Parts: sequence; C-alpha cells; structure tokens
Amino acid sequence: MTQENALKLFKSLSDMSRLRIIQSLTKGEMYTELLAERLGITPSTVSFHMKKLEEAGLVISRKEQYYTVYSLNRDLFEMKLSDIASSEPEETDEQQKREDKYRSKVIESFFEYGKLRSIPVQRKKKLICYEVIAERFVPGRIYTEKELDDIILPIHEDYCTIRRDMISEGILRRDGNQYVRIK
Amino acid sequence: MERFIDYLTQRIDVCRDQIVALEKDGRKDEADFAKVRLNIYDVCRTVTNALAARPGAGPEAVKAQLERFRREWNAALDKAREHGDTRNTVVGETKLEALEDVMEHFAEVAQ
Repeated sequence: MTQENALKLFKSLSDMSRLRIIQSLTKGEMYTELLAERLGITPSTVSFHMKKLEEAGLVISRKEQYYTVYSLNRDLFEMKLSDIASSEPEETDEQQKREDKYRSKVIESFFEYGKLRSIPVQRKKKLICYEVIAERFVPGRIYTEKELDDIILPIHEDYCTIRRDMISEGILRRDGNQYVRIK
Repeated sequence: MERFIDYLTQRIDVCRDQIVALEKDGRKDEADFAKVRLNIYDVCRTVTNALAARPGAGPEAVKAQLERFRREWNAALDKAREHGDTRNTVVGETKLEALEDVMEHFAEVAQ
C-alpha cells in the first residue's frame, strides 16, 4: 500500500456513519436499503459513503439482481495498522505530481459529465481540454470531417473552433478532407 | 408572506442545529449535506424577500420562481444519476427534498 492510499483509507474512516457501516458489515454482507434503514439515513447517502469506502479499498461490492451487495475487504482488515501507517510514498517525481494535479483541476472545472462547459481562454488550459477531447480519437486512424465533427459536437457546440485549434496546436493533422490524431 | 418567511427562518435555525449535532457526532459529510439544505431555505427566503419588495409581484411570482428551481434542479439530479455521480445525486436529492418542503408550506400559506 502506498502512503496516498493509506491517507485515503484513514480519511474514509474518520466519519461516524462510515464507521457504523463497517460495524454493520462485520456481521455480514448487506445491501444499501438495509443499511439505510439500520443507520436512519437515506439510501443515496449510504451509496455516497459506500463509494468512499470502496475507493479506499475497505469494501467490495457485487451486483445481485436489483441490489448491490456490500462486504468488507477482509484482506485489508487483516493488515497490521503499523504496516499501513508506515507505508511508503508512491515513486513519482514532485513536478509530475504537481502537473497531474493541475491537469485534474482544469479538467474538473471545464468538463461536466464529458461536456466542455466553455473553451478556456488561457492556452495551457485550452491544450489540456483539447488533449482530453483528442482521447476520443484513435491515433493513426483517418477521420472524415463529418466523423470528426460528430465526435466533437456532443462535447461542445463550437466544434469548428475546436477542430481548427486542434490542428493549429498539432494535435490533429489535416490532409484535404481527412484528419488524423498525431498527439 | 410574512408567515412564510418566518417558517423559512425557523427551518434555517433547525438546519443550523442539525449541522452542529452532525459535526459533533463526527459525521462531517452529512453535516455538509445539511448545509446544502440550509442554503436552500436561505435562497428561498432571499427570493421571497426580494419579490415581496417588488411592486406588483405577489405570491404567484414566488410560486413561479420555486417551480423554476424545481425544474432546473430536477434536470441536474437526472444528469447526476445518469452519470453515477453519487455526491451530486445526494446533493440534488437534498436540494429537492428541501424545496418540496418549502413548496408544500408555501401552498398552505398562500391559500
């Protein structure tokens, strides 16, 4: 376990409702509605807590007909607290970490459920957004202008500006009516 | 309209107490959701006060604004559900739950 994961784990545990959920799960598997009834909170609040617990690796889920059944990740609960507390930081350089954080922040502010809210004015931010859009294109595959627009339009209505910008930024290459992702 | 504003103020006070209790109980995320609820009552109070001060704008204008909120927040909730966004689903449900309470009370007062 990395130090980042350990932190996520401790953070997810520092909430009384989540501790109560874990307490309930020690007695056996349970589904959302039952947990909600036991804890006196809404099913969607339980789902919210379960997502945090799942992200921290404390809980595992499986689908059973209409229900999502949750259980404890026993492997994690059998780990020693001292081992978790002394976990090492992930080996990535600080500069990369900062860049990744900045990138995530830009994506979070400019995209909502896969749609671009607005085209950023700042070039650095714009490039990040265009790189995200470029992920929708298979590198090396040739697209017609219509195919390209059909992919960009659901992301943002100003598909012409985005298409032009992506070419001038060297993300896409235009050859007549054909386009290829090059970055 | 005064009775309605008093009701909203009373709900804001209840939410404030809930926030303190939840934070004391170590339930920070749920306290944050209670803050969302408080905010809804506060927004409704501000809107009602503003419309009450506007000449010619009566209870119908308040009702229309509350219904506008309902439409917009329902659309946002549908979007959150569609994308499996659990946080915004809870936030959306909390907002609409508080709004339904406000609208129900408004209907009683306006009668």
